[in-house]
Amino acid sequence: MAESCFHCGLPVEQQGEFTLVVEEKQRDFCCFACQTVCHTIYQSGLESFYQKTPENEKLAPPPEQNNEFESFDSDEVQADYVDALTEDRIINLLVEGIHCAACIWLIEQTLSKHEAVISVEANLTSKRLRLRWNNSQAKLSELLKLLAQVGYKAVPFDMDTAEGALAKRHRGMLYRMAFAGFAMMNLMWVSIALYSGANEGEFRNWFHWIGFLVATPTLLYSGYPFFKNALTGLRRGYLTMDLPISIGASVTYLYSTYITAFEIETGEVYFDTVVNFLFVILVGRYLEAISKREALSSTRRLLELQPKLATLIDDGQAKVVPVRSVKIGDHVLVKPGEQVPVDGVVIEGQSGVDESMLTGESLPVLKTVDTQVVAGSFNGEGALTVRAEQVLRNTALAKIVELMERAQSSKAPIQALADRIVPWFVVITLSLASMTFLYWYQTDIEMALLAATSVLIITCPCAFGLATPMSVAVSTGVGAQLGILVKQGLALETLSKVTHFVFDKTGTLTNGQLQLVDTAVTPSMEQEQLLSFAASVEQNSEHVIAKAIVSAADEQNLPIMSLSQFKAFPGEGVQAYLEAQLIQVGTAAWLEKQNVVDETGFFKQALVKEQQGQTCVFVVIDKKVVGLLAFADSLRTDTLNVINQLKQQGLAITVLSGDKTAVVENITADFGDVRRFSEVLPKDKSDVVKELQNQGEVVAMVGDGINDSPALIQADVSLAMASGTDVSIESADIVLSHQNFINVIKARDLATATLTTIRQNIVLSFTYNVIMVPLAMMALVNPLVAALTMPLSSLVVIGNAARLRRFLRR
Amino acid sequence: MEVIYGLLPGMLLLGIVGVAIFFWAVRSGQYDDMDGSANRVLMDDDVKVDANEQQEKD
Repeated sequence: MAESCFHCGLPVEQQGEFTLVVEEKQRDFCCFACQTVCHTIYQSGLESFYQKTPENEKLAPPPEQNNEFESFDSDEVQADYVDALTEDRIINLLVEGIHCAACIWLIEQTLSKHEAVISVEANLTSKRLRLRWNNSQAKLSELLKLLAQVGYKAVPFDMDTAEGALAKRHRGMLYRMAFAGFAMMNLMWVSIALYSGANEGEFRNWFHWIGFLVATPTLLYSGYPFFKNALTGLRRGYLTMDLPISIGASVTYLYSTYITAFEIETGEVYFDTVVNFLFVILVGRYLEAISKREALSSTRRLLELQPKLATLIDDGQAKVVPVRSVKIGDHVLVKPGEQVPVDGVVIEGQSGVDESMLTGESLPVLKTVDTQVVAGSFNGEGALTVRAEQVLRNTALAKIVELMERAQSSKAPIQALADRIVPWFVVITLSLASMTFLYWYQTDIEMALLAATSVLIITCPCAFGLATPMSVAVSTGVGAQLGILVKQGLALETLSKVTHFVFDKTGTLTNGQLQLVDTAVTPSMEQEQLLSFAASVEQNSEHVIAKAIVSAADEQNLPIMSLSQFKAFPGEGVQAYLEAQLIQVGTAAWLEKQNVVDETGFFKQALVKEQQGQTCVFVVIDKKVVGLLAFADSLRTDTLNVINQLKQQGLAITVLSGDKTAVVENITADFGDVRRFSEVLPKDKSDVVKELQNQGEVVAMVGDGINDSPALIQADVSLAMASGTDVSIESADIVLSHQNFINVIKARDLATATLTTIRQNIVLSFTYNVIMVPLAMMALVNPLVAALTMPLSSLVVIGNAARLRRFLRR
Repeated sequence: MEVIYGLLPGMLLLGIVGVAIFFWAVRSGQYDDMDGSANRVLMDDDVKVDANEQQEKD
């Protein structure tokens, strides 16, 4: 029997639950969605999809659908996405669930069979779909449903807002590069002719003029960005790296033009050099732009996935509108299965909401009246009415993206240094070039010109200027995918130099939630039995302790019985009947009021435990205390691992807490040699940090970002564990958005690796200049070789920075 | 060798045509999805062949 799903290959939990007879065999499926999808695929005769899917490619189960397709039918909504509201419409869709080439085949086959579809192009790289259809023959929703049936979820998106400016710039660069390439290839023939003898005789001028004809448009068109940047720089009083490039290219061009125009017999033309040089630099710039875009693509996708529509409640009427028309204070209805369109407060309803997109927390979070919801999270089973508090660019999701963009453009000090150096670099380059020219001018003007041009081209501050920003951009991108949001490049630099880590306890070292840590029972009972009883009573209660009991029972696979006459006494306890037995679970005070018998002395035991910061409840059967359950906030599963690793790296550790000394001692018992400060008020935490700094330590503070803000600001670098919505914690430099404590270590490793890469890059570009510049000054390098080596040095730097991505594979 | 007076402009003209075609290709989005198109050519339209084979077997 197949134990994995016939469609997606995931393990089948319950055999025989979802089955379908396919190719005369009974096949098992993991879920209803997979079964339906497979059924549709076979019915439409597209079963070769399964053969086309690569052998080792795992399909995921189809994404959940929200069944809101009709809302995309109205012209008001479509106006945002289609060019014109005519019969014949073109729309761009973002498709979830595309894994491999077989998927785009399936999508195109499925849609093109529909009579209303005029053309359909699926894009595997960007997971998008361009659909052209006849609106009078079929509504968009009909086509979206068709896609849903084969397991793909499509949402319209606006091409321009998604990537407009960036894509346009890339295209522009591609055009200029292509033109320079064309010019280069053609001029090469002219050069070969000139080198092989045409330089003398009747064709000489003709070839020169051809060269002029090709080089002029190339210089003007392909070289335009360099001239523009150099000029803008000059006007603002900066010497940019584009200046030597522009001077080099135009001087060589002007000299060649002079030779051509006056038909000077002794001179040579260098049109080919100008063109090759521009082409090679443009290739370098283009590759640079592409790798930068790759580094940022994960962020973009986050933004693209933001909800597009909202159900607005206006005078009691529900109306579907584009999300951008929702204003702060509006009431929005979020139906089950929908994506929450805005950040806001629930004013009606109750539902579990999946916030994994923001927090990495896979379990749904319960949202009731007065709790916050965030845009981009998925609503579970209940309908919610939300009052919008933040919309569009101000939502938490948009802020994450913004944070990353800011970090990527912010400058680490080491980069600011590079920026200060560049103008000097340019000045030195220009003067070295002039010196070279003057020196060689005494021998030969042509040699002087070439050597000076080579110096201009070869002294490349590009690699120098790229060294840091490229590394920072790659590592922030990598960090974001791991759930490490770096707000400033500076933070990475400091983090790698840290000597002392200070941790807040609650919510940082610990989960910040109560968990069952201890039980005590009378000799007549088993521990499991006690927990099973307690869980049975508590299963209907919403209290934190009740949840802790039920989840503890679940973990141990204990039976939970159904009881009758459940009754809850808020803040005191609960009770229910198992047949004739009365079972109560509650606090000591509540039970003592009812005169229960405590033969074993559990109440006294509890006093000791409460001293250590544990919370106790008692289980009572027929007015006799039979056991005690103690709860405490426990360490995160990976806390000890993190502490040990940091200690191995020779870092000092301090634990800060507002809790009682006994509690702190107890919970950090396994940490060994660390400093502990207990009963510290939030405002005093920053003093502890300050004191450490006065002792010459570089301090990293790790907190939960709520009550630790002063300490986070005081520390040299601060990391905050984000819980849910507060990803934009103002006071922290680095926000750890997934609830993985091990990310503290990863963040530090990433920072160290980034710094190493930056240093390597600076050394690389420095070495390059030290070797190549003297060679150029000695007139040993011609401008073409210079133009080839210069982008090479930039590419080496970029490639070295790209190595940081290996972090993702760990 | 006078042919060179005609050949060179001809070469440039052909080159410009090439560049124009490339610009058109970029503008019409042919460079947007390098992976998809590479695979698509291997996949098209073999459904009918499958169906025919099936019938022949029957």
